[in-house]
Amino acid sequence: MNIHPSVPGPETAAADLRQYDEAALIDLLEKTEQKHGFIPRDLSEEVTRLLSVKLERLRRIQGKLDSTIRRDVQQHVSHWREEEGNLIMILHAIQNQHGYVPREVAMELSRELGVPLARIYEVITFYHYFKLQPPGAHAITVCNGTACYLKGSRDLINELSSQLGIAEGQTTADRMIHLDTVRCIGCCGMAPAVVVDGKTCGHVKTTEIAGHIASIKHLKESVA
Amino acid sequence: MNTLSRTDLEALAAKPEGDPPEWIRVQLDTGGIAAGAETIFTALEHERADRRLTIPLLRTGSVGYSFADPVVEVQAAGMPRVHYGCVTPEIAARILGEHIGEHRLIDDHIIATRRRGLTLDAPVTHILVKDTSPEAGNKTGFFQFSLAEELKRRGLAERVQVVRALDLGIYDEGAVVQLLPSGVTYTNVLAPDVARIVAESVEAGKVLDDLLWKTPDKQVRIVLRNCGNIDPDSIDDYLRRAQGYQGLHRVLFKLSPEAVIAEMKASALRGRGGAGFPTWLKWQLTRAQPAAQHYVICNGDEGDPGAFMDRSVLESDPHAVLEGMMIAAYAMGASMGYFYIRAEYPRAVERIQRALDQAREAGLLGANILGSGFSFDAKIRLGAGAFVCGEETALIASIEGRRGSPSPRPPYPSVRGLWGMPTAINNVETLACIPAILLKGGAWFAGYGTEKSKGTKVFAVTGKVRNAQLVEVPIGTTLREIIYEVCGGVLDGKELKAVQTGGPSGGVIPRQHLDAPVSYESLQQLGSIMGSGGMLVMDKDDSMVEVTKFFLRFCVDESCGKCAPCRIGGYQLLQVLDRISRGRGTAGDVPLIQRICLTMQKASLCGLGQTAPNPVLSTLRYFGEEYQAFIEGGPSYARKMNKATPTAATSTKVSATP
Repeated sequence: MNIHPSVPGPETAAADLRQYDEAALIDLLEKTEQKHGFIPRDLSEEVTRLLSVKLERLRRIQGKLDSTIRRDVQQHVSHWREEEGNLIMILHAIQNQHGYVPREVAMELSRELGVPLARIYEVITFYHYFKLQPPGAHAITVCNGTACYLKGSRDLINELSSQLGIAEGQTTADRMIHLDTVRCIGCCGMAPAVVVDGKTCGHVKTTEIAGHIASIKHLKESVA
Repeated sequence: MNTLSRTDLEALAAKPEGDPPEWIRVQLDTGGIAAGAETIFTALEHERADRRLTIPLLRTGSVGYSFADPVVEVQAAGMPRVHYGCVTPEIAARILGEHIGEHRLIDDHIIATRRRGLTLDAPVTHILVKDTSPEAGNKTGFFQFSLAEELKRRGLAERVQVVRALDLGIYDEGAVVQLLPSGVTYTNVLAPDVARIVAESVEAGKVLDDLLWKTPDKQVRIVLRNCGNIDPDSIDDYLRRAQGYQGLHRVLFKLSPEAVIAEMKASALRGRGGAGFPTWLKWQLTRAQPAAQHYVICNGDEGDPGAFMDRSVLESDPHAVLEGMMIAAYAMGASMGYFYIRAEYPRAVERIQRALDQAREAGLLGANILGSGFSFDAKIRLGAGAFVCGEETALIASIEGRRGSPSPRPPYPSVRGLWGMPTAINNVETLACIPAILLKGGAWFAGYGTEKSKGTKVFAVTGKVRNAQLVEVPIGTTLREIIYEVCGGVLDGKELKAVQTGGPSGGVIPRQHLDAPVSYESLQQLGSIMGSGGMLVMDKDDSMVEVTKFFLRFCVDESCGKCAPCRIGGYQLLQVLDRISRGRGTAGDVPLIQRICLTMQKASLCGLGQTAPNPVLSTLRYFGEEYQAFIEGGPSYARKMNKATPTAATSTKVSATP
């Protein structure tokens, strides 16, 4: 059998190809075909085998994910099973776990509770507290209660959105910082208040905004 | 904690425990923690260990001095009991070193807002001094110096210390001097008086009548009675030091449900959530409805932005709210209760949950409580950020796990409420009053307040006010007294423009009506409502059109969309207001606003839509000329106005009050 030196033989292929991901494998097939006008049979068989192994693994991961979701949802539901009107409390538990209500979880919940998905979404979208989008890694929340409003929370929001380049309710492109407003956090004595990653800062001035953003970015870098 | 029995409670009542002689209390409520009270607590712990002291370090809720968070209260042997405000870790170290160690008070941090003495019943050990003149070219230092010099001259410097105070609860009365521990307070003190004060009061123990401040403290604390005094996480503290569950004891063993309702009738307590419906009547209607199950709900969905009374009470005195709920349940024959609390108040939820667990463990919740045959249990349900859920029927829908859409009344919840059963919904503040009423009697409670509105009301005074704080005053106290005498007037000495009460469903009260007594009726006459107790002070820099837009936008965002007048009317109203505030309004806009408002008030399904026009109508009524100015001035005027409002956040000047 005449094997071109640049085409990996089956012996070497087994060692090398295992490191290739799906796209690289297909790429390799295409390149080989371009170069030689055909694909050696042992190469194509090896690639097929590797791909099926990878696919099987993906299926297993998917299945595991599904069963994790199912197990989590079952856990939440069983905790509240006996209670009437438990939907909102279960949604609170889910949001506490994920930071938002993922669609797959909502679908699983619908199956588990025997409640139509539409009814679950009806509740989620009615209440401000429930989120459908994953939150950013860090959150800056500006209190927009009346006391804070009078003392300039609007200016803080403007300053934040111009510095971060996002509007309220949005997350930066790197999914790092989420900017939001909240109705009132009940700290009216220290208005205007801003909550940075769960820590409340009072009497915030627009000049201090850059410092808060920098502290988050610094945190991010030190983690990285 | 072991299960309590009836006799245990009786023994506790016979022997209430006093305060231990020495302690430091750190006020750890949401506001305090946000200001760094946790850090202060650890700093105190470390410092105490370093100095090998044994003084107990206690956690407590908030007494309400939000302007001075974090607040620490100190009681040391042979020293007056004082609150320190704006505490930093450095001050915390000095509290242990100087206050506890050397028996010296610390300058510039003492709050002695509510201490008023008329007789010198004990020798003076400390003198607090503060210059309260508005222009304050600040003479506080001068008076401190001259008092100290005078004391030195008379050889008293060893015995008496002169301290600059942070706040004495007296404003615009010149130099104020307070003698501790008696609390005798002199106002408008001038330089020549210093010698007299030292010679006659400190040395001879005589009160100088011409300088004496005789106005008693305006506040009466019933709802806030335990806030800042007990550990909210300890049922033991509540039982031993706050006559905890004694009201329940009296109800269970001495009174029939009818007698409880009669006592409530005598107290004339009205719902503190805003509408002011008589509590006893609500209970009686619920009780009279035959059903297999009755429910009682505590409405802790404090949605009004700018109000934090309910949060404070839930966080600082959770057992009192629970006890109130149990008494309500007994009177109505309910065996199940729900706390509906905003999810935005995690600490309140945590403390109520702990209170429930502790009460259950102590046998105060569950079957056959204290052997009385009365069974009751309670659970928490979280709100999820919907203002409309403060409305009774929407709140019930939310507890049932549905969208919080209100439904038409009647039937009222007292007839068909939670899961179709008769339900009474009471506000946090209402429930917190109840144990005190049952303990001291309805007539005692009715002794406060006005002809038609009895008792006291808690207000959260915020906005452009010098000392933003929680205030509890008898109903009928005037706005001027609350804002100027208790809270120190407008921030930076500016001119007050209006006071907004009742949150987004309330209205504004202009300066000329400041002397109106605050009661359900009088505020309604002025076009506002008492509401849950938020009180926002606005100064002359605040544009009424902008503020109205803010409130209206809130209501439009919160409208559930079920009924057209609220959904469409609110949006249209906002469009018109927006047009006006950009200087594009026309002469026909004001009548149009009035027409839309009327439609919303008459045709909306629930309180949200019916009251959403309130801020618009009341600002139109009192500040119509501002709307006119925007309409006549056109876009250039609007641009000028929108630019010209500096706010605290943008001003570079550091405000005078910390």
